[in-house]
Amino acid sequence: MRTEGSTGVPERTDRVRVLCLGNDLIADDGIGITAAELIRRRLPGVAVVEEAMSGLYLIEDVIGVDRLIVVDAVITGEAPPGTIHVLGECDVAVVPGVSPHYVGLFETLELVRALELDAPDEVTLVCIEIKDAVTIGGAMTDDVLRALPGVVDIVADLVAGAVPV
Amino acid sequence: MEHENATQDPLRTGAERANASYMQQRRVVIDPITRLEGHGKIDIFLNDSGGVDRAFFQVPELRGFEQFVVGRPVEDMPQITSRICGVCPTAHHMVAAKALDALYGVEPTLTGRLIRELVYAAFMAEDHALHFYFLGGPDFVMGPDAPAATRNVLGVISKVGKEVGLKVIEMRRRLREITALAGGKVIHPVLGLPGGVSRRIKLDEVDQIKQVADDAVEFAEFSLQLFRDVVLGSSAYVDMITSDVYSHETYYMGLVDENDKVNFYDGDVRVVAPTGGEWDRFAGKDYLDHVAEHVEPWSYTKFTYLKQLGWKGFVDGAESGIYSVAPLARLNVADGMATPRAQAAYEEYTKTLGMPVHHTLANHWARLVELLYAAERLQELANHPELTGDDYRRIPTATPSEGIGVIEAPRGTLFHHYQTDERGIVEKANLIVATQNNSARIAMSVEKAAKGAISGGHVDEEILNKIEMAFRAYDPCHACATHTLPGSMPLILNVHDTAGSPMLEIRRDADGGVYRSA
Repeated sequence: MRTEGSTGVPERTDRVRVLCLGNDLIADDGIGITAAELIRRRLPGVAVVEEAMSGLYLIEDVIGVDRLIVVDAVITGEAPPGTIHVLGECDVAVVPGVSPHYVGLFETLELVRALELDAPDEVTLVCIEIKDAVTIGGAMTDDVLRALPGVVDIVADLVAGAVPV
Repeated sequence: MEHENATQDPLRTGAERANASYMQQRRVVIDPITRLEGHGKIDIFLNDSGGVDRAFFQVPELRGFEQFVVGRPVEDMPQITSRICGVCPTAHHMVAAKALDALYGVEPTLTGRLIRELVYAAFMAEDHALHFYFLGGPDFVMGPDAPAATRNVLGVISKVGKEVGLKVIEMRRRLREITALAGGKVIHPVLGLPGGVSRRIKLDEVDQIKQVADDAVEFAEFSLQLFRDVVLGSSAYVDMITSDVYSHETYYMGLVDENDKVNFYDGDVRVVAPTGGEWDRFAGKDYLDHVAEHVEPWSYTKFTYLKQLGWKGFVDGAESGIYSVAPLARLNVADGMATPRAQAAYEEYTKTLGMPVHHTLANHWARLVELLYAAERLQELANHPELTGDDYRRIPTATPSEGIGVIEAPRGTLFHHYQTDERGIVEKANLIVATQNNSARIAMSVEKAAKGAISGGHVDEEILNKIEMAFRAYDPCHACATHTLPGSMPLILNVHDTAGSPMLEIRRDADGGVYRSA
């Protein structure tokens, strides 16, 4: 659903949640959690949730909204650290079940749909290419930190209704 | 990574490339290399006749935990350790609180202990339920011969029905509410403090807890009945569970209460021999006299073994120091369950499989017996008159120096050991996590599965399924290393010839694709 905002720019008024994943104890993997605080300040009133849990533990975080924006770290090895990838859910062709032990976000989304829970119609992933994802207590890479303003801008645009990729 | 056009492609951003790639072939766009230090990696070395000489299973490990905590206030440990793992934060939180009790020489008050146990029972029930239905379930519910593509959460839902799936989700949510009620957010729990807990349970909260507990008991009974109907009713399943390829005769370790019944929260560490019967018993604080660690050049994992027997290599039997933990082991070391319905389920289990049970896949059944126990224990705690007492914490006064805690995590015995200066600043920390206690046996299971699946130098992709079945029952916990997108763990299998040279790589990525390269 779209309505005219005060600026004349169409703003979406459907239910949206920004889900920020990461672990602030593990070097660059803290980027999602750090971004959460900045997004919250930029977008007061928008639901922003931080989670360090994985997979099926995210069930309650992914339901009950029309649009879900996920901010997370990623290592594609295809781009320098700090690169922001904006992806639609269908871009990540994870087949559920190749290893039931490592259930991720996408399997969780498949599950809530199969159960006809209130799954989001639209999922957008804002992924930050990171470098160090294994050192507990490790410092965040400068290049990754520099991506933060861009991440916040992209999330703000998405929340306002910019058409995702 | 499938970016065949990347070099001649003018598209610059990862997102653009990703979309282009997707449009072309509906394929992976994110490389499955996540935060993992290497993938789940299996190295297989062939012998002269083309059979398996050795197989190594490697899992990644996060680096630097011990260094990270040195210099930090020890009272932060329940929070810090609960954030190193995305799956069992409550186990780390609770054992850290127990280690702090020991460190400060303070026994929790009765009410403090009851509240801790309440949260722990709720957590165990939640974790076991999730595992059975959504993690281990795909192998069982779908059938031993089901194609890999249907061995997933969706396959389970289509088989058992949507209502059952919803029941699992709902039960889990309500159990989690108990944890949240007593201890704040699950991932940043503020429950455990030396000497007790941070918050009391109010009288008007008890009805909710009782209702969840009653429903959890019913849910556990329902799950056991489902297991009877689907698994025990099929001879193919029973044959698979009891087959030699999925069996190992090792020692077993777990906590028992004063009546030698299974206990998750506290008790003596008991060890039984491969032939059955108590072989060792010790208090958690003495673990270093009984457990030692062995290092292999090919693995990050330190393999634990029974110190008195020594490291004899990856071999079964009474001479070998290798032991196993987790549900199967806990039922093996105990004389039964402390609650009536779980005891009945235990008797059915032992009547069918004998004692001790060496069949790794029986872990799934043992997990359900424990689910029922956790639910009944939750009932007992909810009805305990002292649960709502005022005296929920004893303030420590002693000078800290050293503390050791032990608990049964869903995946097995978990030790935390801290040494501090007189101000409580950590000087040294040692953690032995459940999966580590199982790692030697897991390595053996993987090797056995590989040996069963390869002969005459012939290696096909099916071996991945067979090997995964072998380690899945243990539910090895690498979740701390797998939540970064895409969140699925890829598996790489390398085959080496007799000279040790690489011969073949089979790789299954998180997208489900299997790649084979010579």
